[in-house]
Amino acid sequence: MAELILQALYSGLLNGGVYALMAIGLALSFGTMRVINLAHGELVLLAAYMAYVVESRLDLSPLAAIPLAMAVACAGSALVYLLVARIRKNRELNSLMLSFAIGIIITNAVLLIWSGDIHSTGSVSLQEAVQLGSLYSMRSELYGFLASLVLVTLLWQWLAKSWYGRAVRAVSSQRDAAKLMGINPAKTELISFLVAGLLAGCAGVALYSSSVIQPSLGHALTVKAFIITVLAGVGSVPGVLAASVLLGITEALTVTLWSSAVQELAGMLLFLLVLFVLPNGLFGAARRRA
Amino acid sequence: MNQRNFLFAVLLLATYVLVPAVFGDNNYVMGLIISALIVAGIAIAWALLGNLGGMVSFGHAAFFGVGSYASALLTMKLGWPVLLAMPMAGLIAVLFSAAMLPALRLSGPYFALAILAYAQIFRILATEMDWLTQGAKGLSRIPTLPVLFGIDLGSRSGSYLVIVTLLAAFIACYAWVRRSHYGTALRAMHDSEQATRVVGVNSVMLKAWMLFLSAFMTGVIGAFNAHTINFLEPDYAFGGGWSVLPIVAAIFGGYRTLSGPVIGALCIYLIDQLLFKSLLPTGHQIMLGVLLAAMILFAPDGLLPLFRRRHA
Repeated sequence: MAELILQALYSGLLNGGVYALMAIGLALSFGTMRVINLAHGELVLLAAYMAYVVESRLDLSPLAAIPLAMAVACAGSALVYLLVARIRKNRELNSLMLSFAIGIIITNAVLLIWSGDIHSTGSVSLQEAVQLGSLYSMRSELYGFLASLVLVTLLWQWLAKSWYGRAVRAVSSQRDAAKLMGINPAKTELISFLVAGLLAGCAGVALYSSSVIQPSLGHALTVKAFIITVLAGVGSVPGVLAASVLLGITEALTVTLWSSAVQELAGMLLFLLVLFVLPNGLFGAARRRA
Repeated sequence: MNQRNFLFAVLLLATYVLVPAVFGDNNYVMGLIISALIVAGIAIAWALLGNLGGMVSFGHAAFFGVGSYASALLTMKLGWPVLLAMPMAGLIAVLFSAAMLPALRLSGPYFALAILAYAQIFRILATEMDWLTQGAKGLSRIPTLPVLFGIDLGSRSGSYLVIVTLLAAFIACYAWVRRSHYGTALRAMHDSEQATRVVGVNSVMLKAWMLFLSAFMTGVIGAFNAHTINFLEPDYAFGGGWSVLPIVAAIFGGYRTLSGPVIGALCIYLIDQLLFKSLLPTGHQIMLGVLLAAMILFAPDGLLPLFRRRHA
């Protein structure tokens, strides 16, 4: 039993890495524009289907699809931004509905183009078992986790050090003041959506190489990314990583100890608990989410 | 105002008498109209929450599903009469909506996403608790609506009368809340929640009441649907369509008006069934998505107010 639990902790940790890629993108675009992109999970799914197309049509490794997946997710994310930016009236509610509509469009477009079947990678080398001590994983899971660690670190450094990264943080905390300091808020918002798209592209490829995809998955991915941002609280990159790992581990433990059908329930219960007990999230600065 | 009341009475008479008199023999047309009115009922509940409560819900399927399962189980397992089980199903939906209360303290996006997640959870629960709901196999032979005062409410025309009565009651209730001092406080909250709080309005409490009212209406509609189609399975009862169609309908007709959601639902449901579904049998929701996106971008207040402005 102890071995099974240890194995669940390990798998959860690896899964959490991929979740972090999705959640940071969502948190970034929410931070700058105060808009939750409800189509974010669908963009990740679209990127995953790009990996499927590259593998099944061109007979290449899904990893070769990374540039295409990134480009598609970026273009989608930019499109969401440009459309949402057109909304003048009652932006908070209308942008939710607009991005929800875009999510419906993407899900059904995927359904129309690639049908409702489930797909997963056929690559033998990616699915090969890798042993670490007494713990096992697929090679793709390990790759995904390492890639996400690198990307999250890069993003953290970018936000902390680079001019645009600092502009993103400035716009998140005080849009008007940032404008007075010579930052172009519209451009900064677009950049945050583009970065979110890049991360979503990587997350999609990682998702396809380590698990199964189907059209209705996008919705669940958005919810997962959102649960993580609530767990993490606003404004902390390491917090998002930790919350992602927490969600991954909770899900893996639920599957091991209970059943895979109730995996989503575990995340929700965690989410409710945090909402009730720590409304600012586990790692968020102590301020009201307004 | 008197003229408006007269017009309203004529309209009510027409919907009660004329529609069943003209289409009563055509089961297909009556079925379509009843289904459209079911969507209209959810659309009213959704619009009430959005317009008065200022909250966008992407998970009304949760209340709909809970209501339909509650009423089906009450009648099948405990032998309750259908007409008693339906309001009870509404109350049970309210009870489930109470699980959403912590999300009310948070701003719009958080509530919207929390409710999106709840809809998923309830579907999983309905599938997993198969000792109660028979899981993915579904419930069949759910009792139909009874015969009341010599009218068979289970027939198409009878069901039509029931759903029209429910809608009329919902609209009356919505109009009453909007006119009452709760409505005034809610409108003030819409402009500035903080200022409204300062003058002593318990805004979270008011929002909670709107959520309960909306959940009750949706639960009753779900119960009605369960007793008219007599069959339930989790993927159907908690299906995303019950969340999406009412949103598109309410936005299309104008969710800040009383009649908008109903007119929107009639238009959208019929367009969806007769046009979109025949064009695209599998992914017809894509058209609803396009329609919703276009409405938000070009006419966020709906088509009805747009026409009114043109003619004013």
